Order: sequence, then structure tokens, then C-alpha cells
Amino acid sequence: MADLKKHDTPLLNELKKGPFPSFVDDLETRANSGVQCCYDLLGQLELSYNHKETHWKHGGIVGVFGYGGGVIGRYSDAPKEFPSIAHFHTLRVNQPASKFYNSRFLRKLCDMWDHRGSGICNFHGSTGDMILIGTSTDQLEPTFYDLSHQFDMDLGGSGSNLRTPSCCMGKARCEFSCLDTQAITYDLTMTYQDELHRPAFPYKFKFKTSGCPNDCVAAIARACTSIIGTWRDNIRIDQKAVQAYIGGELKPNAGAFSDRDWGAFDIQKEVIDLCPTRCMWMDGNELKIDDRECTRCMHCINVMPSALRPGVDCGATILNGAKAPILEGAQMSTLIIPFMKMEYPYQEFKDYVELMWDWWMEEGKNRERLGELIQRQGLAHYIIDILGREPIPQHVREPRSNPYPFWKEEEVPGGWTRSLEDFRKRHAA
Amino acid sequence: MIDTSMYKDDPGYNIQELLDKPYDPELADREYNPDKPMAGRLTDQGPPHFEQFFPEVIKKNYGKWLTHEFLQSGVIKYTSETGDVMWVVRCATPRLVTTNLLREIADIADKFCEGCCRWTTRNSLEWHVTDEGTLKELIEFLNNLKHPGGSYKFPIGGTGAGITNIVHTQGWIHCHTPATDASGMVKSVMDDMFEYWNSHKLPAKLRISMACCLNMCGAVHCSDIALLGIHRKPPFVEDDRITGVCEVPLAIAACPTAAIKPATVELADGKKVKSVRVKNERCMFCGNCYTMCPAMPLADEEGDGVAILAGGKISNRITRPSFSKLIVPYIPNELPRFDSVCKIVRQIVEAYEKGANKYERLGDWATRVGWERFFEQCNLPFTDKSIDDYRLAYDTYHTTTQFKWSSHTDKMM
Amino acid sequence: MAVDKEELKEKIVEFATKKSKFKSKMYIKDLYKADPDAKPREVKNAANELVREGRLEFFSSGSTTMYGVPGFGKSEAQQFEGEE
Ligand code: HEM
Ligand code: HEM
Ligand code: HEM
Ligand code: SF4
Ligand code: SF4
Ligand code: SF4
Ligand code: SF4
Repeated sequence: MADLKKHDTPLLNELKKGPFPSFVDDLETRANSGVQCCYDLLGQLELSYNHKETHWKHGGIVGVFGYGGGVIGRYSDAPKEFPSIAHFHTLRVNQPASKFYNSRFLRKLCDMWDHRGSGICNFHGSTGDMILIGTSTDQLEPTFYDLSHQFDMDLGGSGSNLRTPSCCMGKARCEFSCLDTQAITYDLTMTYQDELHRPAFPYKFKFKTSGCPNDCVAAIARACTSIIGTWRDNIRIDQKAVQAYIGGELKPNAGAFSDRDWGAFDIQKEVIDLCPTRCMWMDGNELKIDDRECTRCMHCINVMPSALRPGVDCGATILNGAKAPILEGAQMSTLIIPFMKMEYPYQEFKDYVELMWDWWMEEGKNRERLGELIQRQGLAHYIIDILGREPIPQHVREPRSNPYPFWKEEEVPGGWTRSLEDFRKRHAA
Repeated sequence: MIDTSMYKDDPGYNIQELLDKPYDPELADREYNPDKPMAGRLTDQGPPHFEQFFPEVIKKNYGKWLTHEFLQSGVIKYTSETGDVMWVVRCATPRLVTTNLLREIADIADKFCEGCCRWTTRNSLEWHVTDEGTLKELIEFLNNLKHPGGSYKFPIGGTGAGITNIVHTQGWIHCHTPATDASGMVKSVMDDMFEYWNSHKLPAKLRISMACCLNMCGAVHCSDIALLGIHRKPPFVEDDRITGVCEVPLAIAACPTAAIKPATVELADGKKVKSVRVKNERCMFCGNCYTMCPAMPLADEEGDGVAILAGGKISNRITRPSFSKLIVPYIPNELPRFDSVCKIVRQIVEAYEKGANKYERLGDWATRVGWERFFEQCNLPFTDKSIDDYRLAYDTYHTTTQFKWSSHTDKMM
Repeated sequence: MAVDKEELKEKIVEFATKKSKFKSKMYIKDLYKADPDAKPREVKNAANELVREGRLEFFSSGSTTMYGVPGFGKSEAQQFEGEE
């Protein structure tokens, strides 16, 4: 340990102060236990804090042998000062759906990553993978060998692959969940292993699953296919519990507003008047909902979780096409299939996925996300010609305001070829 | 209970026995032969099945939960239709964690939670317990755990009408295109916002997200407050190095706006080389060229900094999901503690806390009072950069005579 | 009618090798041109088999995966390690 080299980090030391957990302290604690690369990482970060510029370079490594994703290549541009992080590649490891772990797993993973790499991780990356940050090229294959043989685990997706699917905790903990989010995520991940590890598409593709319209994994903002739980029947009402909220025995919104005095709970003001469709009312002591008018926004259920529950005839609303702003501007997913039952083996869903992927693989340009292709070729074309579904008013926020649809020849009686001669018989030139 | 029988032949169906075997650091060195990579290779294993990591109480009550209640910020009580009760304690983590910290997490899991724990989508850590005594001990234990510099290792909070953990990206810790640092900014902002982390005093949830360049690996575009690293200078072109280290056609193809054109240029020594030129006015500062070509670095001390967007959300509650809007176009990188970013975030949060109705998300408040009032109440200048000139710009134009009088119009009168 | 996989693989290698002289990394879409009759999925499967056989290799652009022919283009070492 004698040759450990610590760098001066006066700027980073400022980030040890304050109540929020300090990553600097964590890295330094690990460095002090005899790990040079943690000193070097801090040293290089301090240099970035001085220069206000990054000191990393990209590498073209994609994966282990035969995989087109799962590894991100990184090289320091100051390898002489920080030799232990000269190569510092990342591996993405596919997390268990909804990210429950146990101590046996965590400890063994630590043993492995201390041996093969830096011992630095992200729990988790923004797509959901466990991220192991920092190892050299020669350790990539052995790390994968260890993961697959000693953990039965695998790398996650990167590049123009299916990215690691992710989901909210669903039925494991949340009474709102209309879907087995983890089961869906696990099944899709296993079904599409080839697409996850080997590039198949013009660009990246993401599935994300939320159990209800609260959308805690941000499926509508981040996924090419957003699977969001919903119900077809009626909100279940426990009228006694409604009275308990009105009477103040139960705390509104499960106590989520407890540190401020908002006054006594007022069901009219806080629930009925805020319902976006105004489909609720009090009939004497009974709360009534006109469920046909309800858009399942979750507000009333969020406010009174002990009194109201989603219905029991559950399934998913499928939306398509979210993407980050580069290049055509950010898009949120748009409603495609209002309701689909999601039950093992999810055949109806997988049939839809095939239609969508075949089209995108055929028609998508290089680096064109599904959402951009839908825009380029038209939402109606996608829904009707590709997916074979009926157009319905739910597909638009409002009908278009220009009268310029492109009519197809077969839609017009007689087609487009007509006799000029006959026309001129009726109209002088 | 979940039916998992259809997956029992999957490699990851039950890995617990495998986990009980100690890690063998020599296995790969013994068995893996780089000349025959396919020998003994296992591929397409997929992730482990999730159910094996659930605490017993969750296995038993899967899909049977009836209701939940926040007892205080960060402590949730769940009740099941089976009569079972479970408490969950939520703590912040900085996302970037070492195995030292992970081992400590494993120890806490063993001590209080049957060895189990869970991470949330927003990088918080959750503990599950089934009796009130253990809950009290766990809370006390966590409250006393600190780093050497004094910060909490696992501060409790992040639920309800407060600010939960910031989702963020790599920054200068590990990426080649960041315009700012992620971990340091998140630490600074969360230190300053800590009073909202562990309380329920805001009008609704407030989500902050952080991404360190336009690529937005952190997908911040739908957050109540988004902190986004931005570059403002086009890349360098190192003519004397470019042919040595990269392929010109690849660099050209990498650019999303087709700003890079091939060019033959003369070096100082008179030698002619094939290089490229950047049409600066077309560059959107995305860094894709640097990814493909190490001779086109982008980072710049003076050019780089932070933009702040606000008023987006994801949940479908009451109003539809919406994008965050550009509020402050540029703040220089002030190190180490990003003072202006923290100050502006505080101005926005305090104005929102004061002005919004109960249940109203930040963007819904701004829409109700009008964006002219939003800028006024946050005491932030409105700049030309907030007027869209990118694609779909028209969506944000103001096609009505309905507007409010504000300090902006007062000045004109 | 499905295309013969071995034949398709040969066409892909030939196409990619020819292209590599100008631009050593290509997208999966570019490889479709090796045989216009083949379906995207067939091309993908054939190309990925070629990678397993070591006749093609992957390259990462950060967000996209590209294909290359081993021996063409700048090597990882030229670009990022020794340099100069
Ligand atoms: C054109 C756009 C993009 C490019 C060029 C890009 C590039 C990169 C690069 C180079 C990294 C490596 C960072 C490192 O570990 O050193 C990375 C990480 C990552 N990116 Fe992206 N990215 C893009 C867009 C996105 C988007 C839109 C998302 C998600 C919404 C995303 C999700 C991720 C995730 C999950 C990681 C892993 C590390 C982390 O979580 O920070 N990327 N990306
Ligand atoms: C400050 C700005 C923004 C921030 C901080 C931000 C942050 C994020 C984060 C954290 C994710 C999740 C990434 C993941 O876990 O996979 C995400 C995904 C996404 N964001 Fe943003 N975002 C921002 C702006 C935008 C904008 C302007 C758009 C579009 C107009 C956009 C569109 C998307 C889409 C479509 C996804 C899903 C993308 C994917 O999965 O590839 N974002 N964003
Ligand atoms: C019992 C558990 C949970 C319940 C009942 C719940 C409930 C909700 C509700 C009601 C909303 C909408 C809030 C609003 O618009 O005012 C929401 C949003 C959200 N939840 Fe949860 N949640 C739970 C767990 C989680 C967890 C574990 C996470 C992740 C760590 C999470 C992440 C989010 C996020 C990111 C949003 C915000 C989406 C947005 O920006 O609008 N939730 N959740
Ligand atoms: S998305 Fe809905 S079901 Fe999933 S955790 Fe959030 S509130 Fe619960
Ligand atoms: S879920 Fe939303 S729309 Fe439906 S009744 Fe409740 S508040 Fe109204
Ligand atoms: S947001 Fe940009 S700088 Fe940050 S990790 Fe992603 S690609 Fe890198
Ligand atoms: S930074 Fe992006 S937009 Fe600018 S030249 Fe490079 S690739 Fe093109």
C-alpha cells in the first residue's frame, strides 16, 4: 500500500459538507482502504473542476464477444497523471425487474467487482441497468464470464439494440397497480434477448411499464413503447372510508401533505372540483362517479387511497414514440392502443411488437427513432396500414385544423384517371 | 403469490444457491480462453427473476395491498387485505456508489430487513420491515450513520409533497461530452433543498432532474425542474491530427444537423491534408462528432454551463403530462458548489411554494397564473432564448389577446 | 421466399469489404443493400452470425452500434491509446 498516491482535492472537499450523502466521501473512503483508482478518479475530477472541462475520451468498444451492446469505452486524456484510470470502461448489467436485491447478491457482486474493476458503480443508470464503472479492456471478458457463470446474470442493452426494459414496483408494493409490471418486464426481456444483445434496429428501442397512470417510471416520456396500466370497469368505492376522509379520521393523500396546514379536508374542493372531467358528485352521503366520463387520471384515488381503488377489469394502454430531443425535438408517447389485456404469454402484445418492429426495421432511416418515423410517415398510416387498427377519436387530442388530408386514389369513386374529352364536352375550353 | 412456474427453466429463475458459493476470482482465468471465446460461453441468460429477491411479506402479499400511508417524510406504512402490515423507509443515495457503501447496505439489510432492499427509479434506497420495533431501531440507526465529512449516508425522506431524489447522468465522472458535472451539482442542489427532501410542505410533488449534455441520458425533459448542461461553442478541428486518429466520413456522418463538411486544408508546414470544416451556425453542440472523432473536442471552460427548464411533469394526474420549458438559458459553471444554480432553483421552489394551490404541480401553477407572472414571481428575467426557434416552435406562440399585465408590459407603457 | 443464409453472409462480407475502403463502419441499414431481396431480420441475423465468426465486428458510436470489417479503419489503439 506504500505506493498509493493521493491527489490534492480542495474543490471536491467542499462537496463533503452539507447533509446530502457525499459521493466524494464515499470515493475517498474506498480510496483510503487501498484503492488507487478512486484517488485517481477524484484527482481527475478535481482537474475537471479546475479546468471546467471533461477529461474523458470515448472509445468504440461495444460489448463482449458477439454482443453489440453492454459496454461503454472510456479513456482518460490525462493518463500520465492518473494511470490507474487510463482505461476505465463501463459495463451495464441487467437489473432484476423493479430493483429488489438481497445481501447475498450484493456482497458477491462486490467481491467480483473489487477483483475485476474499480469497485465503483451506479445504482442505477438512467435506463435501469446496474452500471459497473471502471475497468480495463482485458477485464471485460472475464467480468462477463464471472457474471454469467457465477451469477447467472447478463449484460444490459446499449447502442442500436433493445435497451434493458424497466418498470415500477407494481403489485409488489403498490395497491394502484393494474398490471404485473415486473412479470411483463421479465417476460419481454427474456423473449427479446437477441434484440437486446445484438443490434437489430435503426437506433435504440425502449419498453417501459408503469402499473397505473401515475407513471412512476416515466414510461410516457422515455419509452418507444410505453405500457401503462388502466381499467375498463368502475372505480371501487368504499363509502365508509369516504366518510372517514370527510370526517378527518383518515389523512388525505395518505399523509403526503402532513407538514403544512392546509385546513380541514374539503372533499368538494380537493377532489370533486379538481376532477378534470367533473364526473364525481356527492349524493347525500354517497360519493358517486360517472365512470363512463372518467379519464382515469388517478387524482381522486391518490387523495383517498383507502376509499377508492382502480377497477378489477385491468389491462394496459399502449403508447408509442417517446424520445429525447435530438434530433426532431422531444416527443412524448402518443396513444395507440387504448386497452389491451396483459396476461401471460402476452401473445397479443408480442404480435403487435412484431408488426411495429418489422415496419421500423424496413422503413426507419439510420438513427431514426420509432417516434420520428411515425411523424415522418404519419400516425394514421401507422395505426391503420401497419397495425391494422381502426382510427378512433382517442388517437388525437383534437382533429386536425387544416383540410389537407392526402386522399388516396382508391378512396375516390372512379379513381384519378378520367377522360378529358368528356370533361371538355361539358365545358368549353 | 405470483405464479412463476413458467419460468422455472430460465437460467436466472433461482440463483440463490449460486450466490451462496463464494466468489471464485480465478474461475475465469482458468476457464476462459481468449483464442476460443465461444468455448464454455454462456450468453442470453437475461436478468435474474425478480421474485427471489422479494422479502417474504411481499411474496405473500403480492397484488393484495389495500392502502398506504406516509407516517412522516420517507416512512410509508402498507396494509394488505391479508391483514399484514409492512413499513418502508426511503433514503437518498447519490447513485454513484462504491462497493464499500454497497457492503454497508448489505449489512443493514441483514441486520433489519431479512437481507432485502430495493432501489427506486430515482436512485433512492428502500428498506422493508414488518414490525414497529424494528422500524424504530432502523430509523434511529440510519439517522446516526454519517460520512467522515458529516453528511448523512442514508438520509430518510423523499415521499409525498416534497422534493425527491434527483435523477442524473455521469458528468465529468465518466462521460466525454458533458458540459458540466452531474454528481457535484446534484449534491449542491440537494444540500440546499434538503428541507424539502425530508418534509411534506410543498403544494405537490416536485421532481428535479439533471442531465449533463443535450443527449439527455437522464431524460429531464418532463421534470418540474430540469438542470441541463449545455455547450455553446462548436467543436475544434485538429487538422494535423485528424487523419491519424479518425475517419473523416464517419465524423461527417455523425453530425445530426449535417454541419460538418469535408475540406482539404494546408497545414503550417505546407502539407495538404483531408480534414473537415464545421458550419458553425448549424452546430447544435451535441458532441456526436467528438464521439466518432477524438480530434474534434467540444468542451470549453467559457462556453459550457447550465440551463434551467421548469414546469414539466410525467404523471397523468389531473392534467396531461408536459414538457419542461426553458426558463434560464445559461448559467456559467461555478465550482465547486454551483451557487447560482442553487440560488435560482430556490427562487423557483419558494415562489411555487408560496403561490400554488394544494395538489397543483409547478407547471400547472405557472399555466394558471400565466408564464408572465411566473417569471415575475420567481424574480427571473425573461430572455429571447425562451422564444422557440427550433422545430415545432409555433406550438408555443401566443395566439390570443388574453394575457396579463406584468412587470414586462409595465416597462413598455 | 427466404434467402439462403450462407449466400447472404457471403454477399454481406463482400459488400462490407468493398465499402470499408471508403468508410469502415456501417449501419445495419447499409448492410440491407448487400441483398435487396433479403428481409431486414434475415440481414440482421446473418450479420450477427458473421460477428460471432469474427468476420465482422461491432463498433459503438455511444448511442448506436455499427458494423465494421476487422482490419479496416482506425483501431481502438490508434484512436485512443498510444496515438501520435
Ligand atoms: C443521441 C443521444 C445520446 C448519446 C450520443 C448518448 C451517449 C451516451 C454515452 C456516451 C454514455 C456513456 C456515459 C458514460 O458512462 O461515460 C451514455 C450513457 C447512458 N445513456 Fe446515453 N446518449 C444519448 C441519449 C440517451 C438517452 C435519450 C437516454 C435515455 C433516455 C440515454 C440513456 C443513457 C443511460 C441509461 C446511460 C448509462 C449511464 C447513465 O445512466 O448515466 N442516453 N449515453
Ligand atoms: C432538461 C431537459 C431534460 C431532461 C433533464 C430529461 C431527462 C430525462 C430522463 C431522466 C429520462 C429518462 C432516461 C431513462 O431513464 O431512460 C428521459 C427520457 C426521455 N426524454 Fe428527456 N429530458 C429532458 C428533455 C427532454 C426533451 C426536451 C425531450 C423531448 C422533447 C425529452 C424526451 C425524452 C424522451 C422521449 C425520453 C425517453 C427517451 C428514451 O428513452 O430514449 N427529454 N429524459
Ligand atoms: C406506493 C407507492 C407509490 C405511490 C402510491 C405513488 C403515487 C404517485 C402519485 C400519486 C404520483 C402523481 C403525483 C402527482 O402528479 O402529484 C406519482 C408520481 C411519481 N412517482 Fe410515484 N408512487 C409510489 C411509488 C413511487 C416510487 C417507488 C417511485 C420511484 C422512486 C415513484 C416515482 C414517481 C415519479 C418519478 C413520479 C412523478 C412523475 C411526474 O413527474 O409527474 N413513485 N406517484
Ligand atoms: S406507476 Fe402507479 S402502480 Fe406503479 S408504483 Fe406508481 S402509483 Fe404505483
Ligand atoms: S380518476 Fe380522475 S377523472 Fe376519474 S373520477 Fe377520479 S379524478 Fe375524476
Ligand atoms: S447526458 Fe451527455 S454528457 Fe451526460 S452522460 Fe449522457 S451523453 Fe454523457
Ligand atoms: S457538436 Fe454536434 S452539431 Fe456540432 S458539429 Fe459536432 S456533431 Fe455536428
